[in-house]
Order: sequence, then structure tokens, then C-alpha cells
Amino acid sequence: MDDVPAAIVRLVDPAYPPSRKAPLVWGIGAGIPWLMMTLAQLVWIAADRRAIWLHALAAAVTVLGIVVFVVVAPLWRYRVHRWEISLAPGPPAVYTRTGWITQERRIAPISRVQTVDTYRGPLDRMFGLANVTVTTASSAGAVRIVALDSEVADRVVAQLTDIAAIGDEDAT
Amino acid sequence: MTLPATPGQPASWQRLSPRMLLVHPVHEVLRQLPLVIGSVVLGSATGNPWLVALALALTVVFGVLRWLTTAYRISPEEVQLRSGVLQRTVLSLPRNRIRSVSTDARLLHRALGLTVLRVSTSQQTGGDGEFALDAVAAQQVPRLRAILLADSLAVADLEAAPGRILARWHPSWLRYSPLNLTGLAMILAALGITYQAGAAAALRNSSLLQPGLQAAQRFGPVAIAATAAIVVLTASLALSVLRSLVTYGNLVLRRDADLLHLEHGLLRLRENTFDMRRLRGATLREALPVRVFGGARLDAVMTGVNGAGESSLLLPPCPAATGKAVLADLIANHDAASGPLRGHGPAATRRRWTRALAIPAALALVSAVVGVPVWVWVVLAVATVCCALLAADRSRSLGHRVSGGWLVARAGSLERRRDCIAGAGIIGWTVRQSCPQRRAGLATLIAATAAGFKRYQVLDVPVDLAWSIAAAASPWVAHNRWADQPAPSGASSSIDGNNERTG
Repeated sequence: MDDVPAAIVRLVDPAYPPSRKAPLVWGIGAGIPWLMMTLAQLVWIAADRRAIWLHALAAAVTVLGIVVFVVVAPLWRYRVHRWEISLAPGPPAVYTRTGWITQERRIAPISRVQTVDTYRGPLDRMFGLANVTVTTASSAGAVRIVALDSEVADRVVAQLTDIAAIGDEDAT
Repeated sequence: MTLPATPGQPASWQRLSPRMLLVHPVHEVLRQLPLVIGSVVLGSATGNPWLVALALALTVVFGVLRWLTTAYRISPEEVQLRSGVLQRTVLSLPRNRIRSVSTDARLLHRALGLTVLRVSTSQQTGGDGEFALDAVAAQQVPRLRAILLADSLAVADLEAAPGRILARWHPSWLRYSPLNLTGLAMILAALGITYQAGAAAALRNSSLLQPGLQAAQRFGPVAIAATAAIVVLTASLALSVLRSLVTYGNLVLRRDADLLHLEHGLLRLRENTFDMRRLRGATLREALPVRVFGGARLDAVMTGVNGAGESSLLLPPCPAATGKAVLADLIANHDAASGPLRGHGPAATRRRWTRALAIPAALALVSAVVGVPVWVWVVLAVATVCCALLAADRSRSLGHRVSGGWLVARAGSLERRRDCIAGAGIIGWTVRQSCPQRRAGLATLIAATAAGFKRYQVLDVPVDLAWSIAAAASPWVAHNRWADQPAPSGASSSIDGNNERTG
């Protein structure tokens, strides 16, 4: 009844993982707010020792949060995250896999790319990482390649801007 | 008025219609209403009427200054709007970025033969960045519109041959408006305002209250409440129908070659002109109360036009057959507009049911443990039945189709929508899987476009089908190194992510 081809198309996952330092940086990034929270709780315990069960509950939540967000999530994300840029065969395209509990695979042809940005936060700079964002004319279509080693990121940006021929058309 | 015909010729600044000298002061007085009231109060309190005259004179002078300082210019490359009395701003738009031109004439404007003309571009600017000529003479509008959209059409053709009419408002369309909540909202707003204005205090002291209370004692509070409910409901229905009539009565949707032209409004006349080359699809929206009566509303998916609200509206709730016919005409594809859809299978259906029944089941469990009165069980049973109906309808709605390069996706129950998106307008694909979706073997396919809502999703398709649907709508998805199908032999190359081989 419709023109979906009989052959089922599957995409194999992109090839390259992020930098090996990625889980460490993500873990530290997530750890800072949890560290604040732990300190706040210690102060609270020192100031007020009446409701022991409330302290225990807060401590349990904190420990659970640290385990999930500081240890499990970065490792899980490192296992999931992949990226690759294809120049041939076919039209050049960028393809990523991201997420941990909710996972996303996103593909965009480089001919529709509008800008290529790099972002380095303080932690990224400390560990020599960079994040590359490839934006398209759609707010739902930006492809993010996170936690790359700086030199890989620079190479990716240079080559992407080369092939994208940004400004040729308005890519909408 | 002269308009630049030849490129390179310096364009001159044009003023808005001098008749705005009448409109601006009135608008200015309305806008500065607190100031005016304040000065009136102050004037009468101090016994000095000069204050009132001074305030009025100031607002009038300000209106004149606004007219004097506002000007626009249409040059071969861009249009510019200069405005501001104290703070001068110049707004420039490149002409090749103009996507649509709309006009709007309220009563005061219409009485003076004026029209507000708005230009929108692919960048969605709201509020401050809006390019609006408020206002120009109505007879200049066709010419201005033709000049502003000159990149899209041969102007002379438009004048010569008025286009084909796609749809025209019919009184029977009014039957879809009563279930609208706008009437109720209007009543509540009016009540709120009167209450705030001190009507409650006035009522308490009034002589109406005593007979009212006596009546309440005679008939009982239930009868009074029922009467009030009936009165409010009737008024709300009447208001909804009236509003629909005033807003959409005389609606005409016309197509002139590459332009789509919508005009409607009995009192406030609005016209919207869309550049068809920016059309990336359309959405048929069937809200449950409208769907029950066999109705649907049509929205354009267009770059430079917001996905929601009035700006994208092509047809207000109208018979579904009309909506589908217009949709088929716009996208030149009958199958995509009204053809049957492929369902998403048992796993997606199961997911609709678990999601709908999870909350009632949890509530029932809690009630059983805690122990609750009988009426709670009755309420729970009714809620469960409603949820079950919702789940059944939601799973029946789910469907997709790819036909002739158009992606069609349908989902939802209370707000069912059928999105038809042009494959050529899709600039990226996402396959998203949450944890429960991975277990159920489902995925949500998201098409990114530069138009309308920007993201259009195919909810809960079997994961094996997700990339096939994407590849059917945009063939480039299947032509790359990742596609798992016989690839043409030849060297494949990619940017390589191995750190060691940086050289």
C-alpha cells in the first residue's frame, strides 16, 4: 500500500568513541554539585542532631545519587557514545549515538549544515577535551559530538567546514 | 508614492499613511490610559482642568511625533523600517529572506481605509523584531505585497488572473465551534475583571441580594447552581459560535500559482500570504470534540511560520473531507493526505495500554490497601474506563506512511494530528529509544525540519522499521557507509577519530 521498500534499511553504529578521558570529566562534572550537597549535609548534621532518620534518608539519597550520576552514568554514556563522519560513499553525513537511559542516534547530511561550533568548558580545558556542535536550520537537528580530544575536535571542525561549504544556500 | 523599479536606484524613505495621525493619538491615549485617568482624577481633585488638557495634548503630540519619525524604504536588496521618537531603531530585512506577508485591519483602521502590513522571515522574530507597517492605505496593499514577494512571482500575472479558490467558509462550519472552550474562557475573564473592579462589594450592598437569597431559600441551592450552570454554558456556547463567526466568517483560501492567500474576519479583517515554495508540509489537526462531529483543522508547515497558533492556520475546524481535499491539493499527493496508514503493531498498542492504565491501577492498589469509601471506587472505575477508551483510541490513531517522498505520521487522541512532511524538507533524523522502548523493541523516529514545529515524530515504530521509514522519505539515509545493505563497491573514506593516527 505504500512505498516503503521491501528491503529493510538498518544503520550500523558509528565507529568512534569519545576521548578516553570522557567518563572522568563527566564524573567530575557531575560530582561537583553532589560534593556541595554532601558538605551541606555534614554541616546540617553538625548543627542539628535531633531527627536521625531524616539524616539517614538524606544520606541514602546522596549516596544513591553519587553512585548513579557520578559513577554509573559516565561509564554507561562512554559505552553508548559513538560518532563518525562519512565522506563517501553517498553524500557526506555526520552520525552520532548518545545518551544512557534514553539513547539517540542522529544523522544529518553535511550539505544541510549551517554552523560548526566548538565548546570547551573549564573542565574540558583542564583535560584537553572539546565538544563539537553541528547545527542545521532546524532546532531539532543539531548534532553534538561531545568530549573529543582537542586535536581530534580541531581536525573534525576543519574538515567539516571544508566540505560543508557553509553559506552556499540557506539549507532550509 | 513611487516604488523603486530598477535595481541600483537609491530608494527614498516613505512615510506611513497620514491618516495614522488620527489613529496614533487614539492608540496612544488607550496605551497611556492609566496616565490619562490619573491626570483626570488629579485635575478634578485639584480643580485644575488644565492638567487634563496638558496630558491629552502630550499624547497627541507624541502620536504626531511617532508618525513623523516612522518611515520605511524598499530598496532592491532589503526593506528597512525606521522608527522611535526618543530611541531610534532601524530594522532591515534582506528581501530574499521574506517568507510571508500578512495584513491585519482592526475596526478603527478599516473605518479609515488603513491596513497593518507585517513581513515575516525565516528567522522567527517576535515582539521587538517584528517588521510591521502600521499602517498603510488599504489600496496600496496589493502593490506592496507584490513588491515584497517579488522574488516569488511575476507581479503582472497575479493582477491578471486571480487564482483558484481552494476553500470558502460555509455556515455549517459553525457546528464545530460550540465545544470550543474560548467562550467559557471569555466569560471567566469578564467575571474576573468585574470582580476586581469591585462589583462584589457593590453586589453585597445592593438591593438585588435580598430577593436573590430568598429565591435561593425557596428553590434550594442545587436548583440555583443548576440554573447558573445552564446559563453559563449557554452563554459560553453562544460566545464560542459568535467568535468563530466573527473571526472566520467570509474566510477564503486561494492559491495563485506559487502563493497561498488566506483572508478572513468580519470585523477585524486579516489576510495572510504564504510563499508556496516554503511549504514543507501540512498538519491535519482533529481535536476530539471536533473529530466527534467529523471535523478537522488544517495548519501549514512552512519555514518562517510558527507551528502553533494562528499564524500557521489555513482552515479553522471544517468538515474533515474539505480539510483533506485542501491538504491533498496543497501537497499534490492524495495518498499522503487521506490514504490508509500502516499501524505500529502490537508492541506499540501494548505500550499505549500500559501507559494509560498504570495510574488507575496504582490508585486502585493504594485504595485497596488504605480502604476507601464506595464512591471513591465508583470514581476510580469511571476514570479507568475513560483511560481505557483513551488507550484504545490512541493505539488506533498511531500510524505512518511514506508515499511519493512525503512522510505521514498520525498520533494522539485528544489532539489527534496527521503530519505530512516533505522528505526534501527533512534535514536530519533521530531515532530515540527510552528504556521501556528498548525492552519493547520500539523507537521514536524524529524528523527535523526548518519549518513549523521543527520536529515531527513518528511515535513508537518497531525499531527495525525506523531507519527504513527514514530512508524511504530521504534516500540519502540509505546511501552511506553505515547503511546495512549491498553498498556500491569503491573506496569509502571518513574522518577518522583515532587519536594515534593524527598526523
